[in-house]
Amino acid sequence: MAAGIASDRRRILRDPALFGAVAVLWLLLALFVLYPLAELLVRAFSDDGKLTLEPLLSAVADGSNRAAFLNSLILATTVGILGTLLGFLFALTAVRAGLGRRWLTALDAATLLPLVSPPFTTSIAIVFSFGPKGFISHYLLGLDNISAYGFWSTALAETITYFPIAYLTLRPIIAAIDPNLEEMAFSLGGSRWRIFRTVTLPLAVPGFANAFLLLFAASLADFATPLILAGNSFAVLPTQAYLQITGMFDFKGGAVLSLMLLVPAAAVYLLQRYWVGRRVYVTVSGKVGQRSRSRAIAPLASALLVAGTALVTVAILYFYALLLYASVVVAFGANNSLTWQHYHVIFTEGLPAIRDTLIIALVGMPLGGFYGVLVGYLIARRRFPGRQAMEIVSMINYALPGTIVGIAYLIAFNDPPLALTGGALIIVACYIFRYSPTGIRATVALLQQIDRSIEEASASLGAGSGQTFRRVTLPLIAPAFFAGLGVVFIRSMTAISATIFLVSLSWTLITVRILENMTELALGPAAAFSVFVIVVVFAVVSALSALLARLRTPTAGAAARSLLGG
Amino acid sequence: MAPISIRLDRVSKRFDHTVKGEVYAVREVSLSVETGELLTLLGPSGCGKSTTLRMIAGFEEPDEGTISIDGRDVTHVLPNRRGIGFVFQNYALFPHLSIFENVAYGLRVQGRPEAEIVRAVAEVLQLVGLARYERQQPHQLSGGEQQRVALARAVVFRPKVLLFDEPLSNLDAKLRVEMREQIRSLQKRIGITTVYVTHDQEEAMAISDRIAVMERGVVVQDGTAKDLYYRPATEFVARFIGRTNLLEARMLPSGEAAFEGLRLPLPAGRPAGATVRLVVRPEMIDMIAPGPDRGAVGRVVQRTFLGEKTDYEIELGTARLQVSRNDAFARATFEVGDEVVLRIDSANVHVLE
Repeated sequence: MAAGIASDRRRILRDPALFGAVAVLWLLLALFVLYPLAELLVRAFSDDGKLTLEPLLSAVADGSNRAAFLNSLILATTVGILGTLLGFLFALTAVRAGLGRRWLTALDAATLLPLVSPPFTTSIAIVFSFGPKGFISHYLLGLDNISAYGFWSTALAETITYFPIAYLTLRPIIAAIDPNLEEMAFSLGGSRWRIFRTVTLPLAVPGFANAFLLLFAASLADFATPLILAGNSFAVLPTQAYLQITGMFDFKGGAVLSLMLLVPAAAVYLLQRYWVGRRVYVTVSGKVGQRSRSRAIAPLASALLVAGTALVTVAILYFYALLLYASVVVAFGANNSLTWQHYHVIFTEGLPAIRDTLIIALVGMPLGGFYGVLVGYLIARRRFPGRQAMEIVSMINYALPGTIVGIAYLIAFNDPPLALTGGALIIVACYIFRYSPTGIRATVALLQQIDRSIEEASASLGAGSGQTFRRVTLPLIAPAFFAGLGVVFIRSMTAISATIFLVSLSWTLITVRILENMTELALGPAAAFSVFVIVVVFAVVSALSALLARLRTPTAGAAARSLLGG
Repeated sequence: MAPISIRLDRVSKRFDHTVKGEVYAVREVSLSVETGELLTLLGPSGCGKSTTLRMIAGFEEPDEGTISIDGRDVTHVLPNRRGIGFVFQNYALFPHLSIFENVAYGLRVQGRPEAEIVRAVAEVLQLVGLARYERQQPHQLSGGEQQRVALARAVVFRPKVLLFDEPLSNLDAKLRVEMREQIRSLQKRIGITTVYVTHDQEEAMAISDRIAVMERGVVVQDGTAKDLYYRPATEFVARFIGRTNLLEARMLPSGEAAFEGLRLPLPAGRPAGATVRLVVRPEMIDMIAPGPDRGAVGRVVQRTFLGEKTDYEIELGTARLQVSRNDAFARATFEVGDEVVLRIDSANVHVLE
C-alpha cells in the first residue's frame, strides 16, 4: 500500500491539471461541506467555549422533542411501507400486466408528476380536498367535521409524493426476473399464486428493502409536507427544528434538534448504501417490455392490478387537476368563477421570487453539472491521495436531511469571516453541493462502462490529462453532464428544506413564497406558483430527455433514467 | 549490432493482494530491445507481461528499477511524453470520433497543420488497407478493421516505439494469422522498435525477432524462437513452447541416459547414477514397426488424425510419450493397440540443466 500511495503522490505532483483540480475541489468541499457541518457540531456541543453534551441531553430529556423524534420515525416507517407497496403495485402492473405502450407512457407520466413537483403540491391538493369546504369532504361526502391535518393526511401526502422512488427502484428488479423462471415453475404444476409467493416475491426482497429505506429517508427528511399538514398535534423533527430557529431564533436548539435527525438518517443511509444496495443485482438494460408476455399472472389478478394502479393514477391526476383548477378560480370552494388573477399576482407581486429562483437555478445548473462530472471523473478514473475521502465527503450534503444542511449553512455563514447569508451565492452553493451528487453518481456509472484503455490510448498519443479529459472523456460523459444539469435545475426549482434557512429579503424562492401563501391562506397564488413550477420543470425535463436521446453515445439511456431517479 | 532502444534495468512492480498481501507482479526484470527489433513478451495470463508493457508505456510506474527509451530515463515520465504508439487488446478506438479523427488524434494533439494531418492520415490508412473508411464510425467496422485503425492511429505520428498488448486475441483464428503478418510487415517496413505481448506461442514464434518468456513476474528465458524451441532453459519454457516429452532418465556408466528401454548417448561429464531431465519434441521421435532393429518397444494407446500430421500417444513401460508423424511420407501407419519400436537420435535431445 505504501508503495502505491507514494507513486500516487509522485504522479499528482507531476500532473498540474490533476493537482489543480483536486486542490480546488478539496477547497470547495472543505468550505461548503465540512466547515458548515463542523460549525453545526461545535454549536450543538459547546457552551461558552467548552465541549459539552448538555444541550443534547436536555433536548433528549424534553418530552416534546422525544415525541417529535418518535413521530418522525413512525411517519417514516408508515410512508416506507405504504410507498413500497404502492410502488410494487405500479411496478408489477407495468412489467407484468401486459399493458399497451400508450398506457405505460401514461403510467410513467403519472409517476413522474410527483417527482418534479414542488414539495407542497400534494399537501395543497389534500387541503383542497379535505380541508374546510374541501371538494371531497364537503361537496362529495358532506362531512364537515373531519380534519385535513394530522398524521394520516401527512402520511398520505408523503406516500403519494415519494412512492415513485419505490416504483423506479422496483420496476427494473421485477423486469429482471426472467419470466421463464416463473413459466418453468408453472410448467411444474405450481399454482400461479404459489409461484408468485415462492418465486417472484423472494427474488424481489432486496428491492423491497432498498425501496423501503429510500422512502424512509425521504420521509424522515421531508420538511414541507409536515409543515403544512401535520399540525400542532403531530410534530416532527424537521419542522420542530425550523420553528426553533425561525420562531425563537434559537440556533443552538435548532442545531441540536437537527442532530437528533442525523442519527436515524445516517443509519438508514449506511444501511441502504453498504448493505441493501449491494444486494440488488440488476443491470438496467433498457430492455423492459421486450420480453415475451408472462403467463404467470392470472387474468383476474392482472385485472385487479390494472384496476388498483388506475385508481391511484386517477387519484394523482385528480390532485393535479384540482391544483390547476384552484389556480384559475377566484377562491376555491367559495367562489368558483374563473379568473387569471392568481397568475397576475405571481407575475407581478411574485415576480421577484420567480426571477430569483430562475437566476439561481440557471446559475447553479451549469456549475453543478460541471462539478458533478469533474468529481465523478476524478473518483472513477484518477488516482490521487484522498480519493476515497473525496468520494465520501462529496456525498455528505446529499445524504443529510435538508434541514441539517440548511441549519449548518445558516450557522456557518451568518457571521464574518464568511457572512454569505442573505446573498444568492450561498443558495447556489447549497444546491450545487446538495444535488450534484446525482451527476457524480451518473458520471461514475457511465465511466464504469467506458474502458479505461480509451483514455490510455489518448495519453499514448501524446495528450496530457487535461487534453484527454476535454477531447475524449468529456464528450463520452456528456449524458451524465446533462443529467446532472437537469437534477440541479429541478431541485433548484422545487427544493425548500435546506434553502428556507438561507432566503432573505433580497433573495427569495418560489417554494418559500408558496409556503408563505399557504400560511396566509392565499391558496390561489400558491396553486398558481405550483402550476408554474411544474410546467417549467416538465419542459426542462422533456427538453433534456430529447437531447439525451439525440446524443449518440451508447450510454445516454442510463443517464436519462438517472435524471428522474435522483 | 544495432543500438539499444528500450532498456529495462531490474524493474519491479508490486501490488496489494487482498488475501496474499503485497505481491510482485513483475520482479527485477531486465530487458533490452535493439532499434528496429520486435521483441515479444510471452507467457500465461498473470505472468506480468502486460504489466511490464504498461510500465514501458508509462501507464504503470515501477516500484523499483529504471526504464529508458533511446538513452533517456523515462521511469517517471508520463505516458504522453514518451513518444510511444500503443495498440490495445480491445482496440480502444474513440467511439465518438470518425475513423479519420481517430487516426488524426495524435497529430491534432501535437498541433500539426491541417493539410499535413489530412495527408498523413490518408497515407497511413492506405498502408493498412482502409483507404476509403475515413468517414466511418468505429462501431460500423469489423473487429479486424478496428484493429487496423488502432494500428494506423498508433503509427501515424511516427512514435519511437510501438507497443502491442495482445492485439489479436479478440479476433477469430484465421484473421489472427492474417493480421499478424500485416503487423510484422508494417513493422519491418517502417523499421520501428516494437514490444509485443501475447500468450499465444505460435503467434510469438511467427512474429518475433526475439522472445522473452515470462513466468510469475520473472523473465525465465530470452532468445530467438529456435533457441526457445530447441534449447529451453527450464521445464516451464519447454512445456509452454510447443508440445514436449519430458523424460526423467538415469545416467549409465557407459555415458548413456536410460529411460524405459531407450538408450541415449549424451556428451560426457555426467556421473553414473545421476538423474537427467531430457526434452524430446514429439516430432523428433521415430516410430517403426517391430522388426530386427533394436529399440524400445511401446504400444499405441491413442491416435489422433489431424490432416497434415497424426498424433500418437505411446505407452512405454510406465510412461506415456507424445509422438507426432507426417503419415503421408511415413513408411507405415499404426493403429491403437499396435506394438511399435521407438528411436530417438540423441542429437535431437536437449538436456535441462
